[in-house]
Amino acid sequence: MNTDHRQIERTASMWLARRDAGDWSDGQQAALNAWLEESIAHRVAFLRLEATWNETARLQAFAAGCSEIVPARGEWAQSPYFVSPIGAAHPDGHGRGTRQRRRRRWPLFAGIAASLVAIAVVAAGLAWNNYARVETGAWHTLLGAQQVVRLPDGSTATLGSDTGLRVAFSRSERNLDLARGEAFFDVAHDAARPFVVHVEGYRVTAVGTRFDVRRGHDRKLRVVVTRGLVRLQSMIDPARAATMLPAGSIAMVVGDNVLVQQVPLDEARERLSWRDGYAVFHGTPLAEAVEEFNRYNPRKIVIADHSLAALRVGGNFRLDNSAAFVRLMQQVFPVQAEPHGDRIVLSRRAAARATR
Amino acid sequence: MGEPVDTWFAREVLAHEQALMRFLHRNWRDHDEVGDLRQEIYVRVYEAAMRQPPDSPKSFLFATARNLLADRVRRQRIVSITAVGDLEQLNVLQDELDPPRWLGGREALTRLARALDRLPERCREVVWLRRVEDLPQKEIARRLGISEKTVEKHIAKGSRMMADFFHGGTEAGAPPGHAHGEPARIRKPT
Repeated sequence: MNTDHRQIERTASMWLARRDAGDWSDGQQAALNAWLEESIAHRVAFLRLEATWNETARLQAFAAGCSEIVPARGEWAQSPYFVSPIGAAHPDGHGRGTRQRRRRRWPLFAGIAASLVAIAVVAAGLAWNNYARVETGAWHTLLGAQQVVRLPDGSTATLGSDTGLRVAFSRSERNLDLARGEAFFDVAHDAARPFVVHVEGYRVTAVGTRFDVRRGHDRKLRVVVTRGLVRLQSMIDPARAATMLPAGSIAMVVGDNVLVQQVPLDEARERLSWRDGYAVFHGTPLAEAVEEFNRYNPRKIVIADHSLAALRVGGNFRLDNSAAFVRLMQQVFPVQAEPHGDRIVLSRRAAARATR
Repeated sequence: MGEPVDTWFAREVLAHEQALMRFLHRNWRDHDEVGDLRQEIYVRVYEAAMRQPPDSPKSFLFATARNLLADRVRRQRIVSITAVGDLEQLNVLQDELDPPRWLGGREALTRLARALDRLPERCREVVWLRRVEDLPQKEIARRLGISEKTVEKHIAKGSRMMADFFHGGTEAGAPPGHAHGEPARIRKPT
């Protein structure tokens, strides 16, 4: 009995697209309202398009690991998020020959790095005098930034968000001081000069290895080893035996307590996915996931209700898009997010209202 | 007053669109009319909800659908009774497996991904940049070297097609070709 639904739908979609374009004035809103008031058919058509359109924001979960180039059909949905939990439910294989193309890509960070990172290289340059007895340098990254640093011995350090690293290399030792944040080291082999990271009262010593050192809240320290062998030694209490960490080790350290976990190498590497600009969670407690985002974003997420902290989160997320993460949490969990100044506060959503 | 009904409608009614479309396709022979039927059903449900939101939205939605189909059959005497599945049997449909709530996790995500992949090339690109990369329309226009108006058109079309594909699965509502001309709505079952 109404005008053809397609006609209405087309008009509704034009409104939606127009509003989506930005520069939305009060006058335009009034015009939209008037159109919506005109008939219920208009209203339901608009609501329907809007609901799905809002839903599409969830696709950001897939964006993890994809570059900002629009990925080919089928292929992008092969992101790790897709593969593990629902890969089996995706047999129609419209992504033949699915090359995973996510490694070594962090264009978002590259972009940020280029523009706002203002990498405060404090004392590098000059100090790298070839014949200096001690070579020193210091780097800082801003929140959300990332930087790869080539060290004079051929090692590289990848600095995560809000990280400070000082180095002092002599002929007999390579000393590094992780003042804050997190760094991944790919260490050039030099048996005569141990590579030592000083952090939180520990010495993390390597020869030719790859490992990651992170300072967390409350003097927490984490070391992840993905190649070779690393030696972890308390400097506060040198009498304590050193802990040897082979590849695949994840050591969690709080004060005197060292907890070492042996995991498959792939899993250990996953902990380092921040270098690609995203976080990988597998049944990770919400509290931990939130901490991960907070390392990268000025807008801190705060869990107000402790019963939420234990919720388990899975999937891949872009570290620089905590808003998408928060949105998804609200959709999947009984979680409510509210902005409070520069923080986003997560609380438990009130029990579902009875629909009457 | 308008606001709560809107959110209620999205949450409690639109969430069942996939099941509703299945129901309509199975029980109404002329698939060209399914979109109009859907709209009419939504209008009736929304109107009812303005007076009083029904206790069980899903049952109410399907009851409305059944009634509408029955009305239509009665009105067009010519339609043979086979045009509609046995109306009595339609009651069974309520017990259909609960469709995944569209706010319900991965399944929805998978369907969204597939829906996106069914968009025409340019349209898909635009929707991706807008919704996944979160770029403003203006920036998309600049990047793709097309006018802002064109971007807006792609968004409009994308929103329609996403809605159809997301809920309808394979055939639903997708107009043949994308020339959005007035669809032929003359074909009546004889």
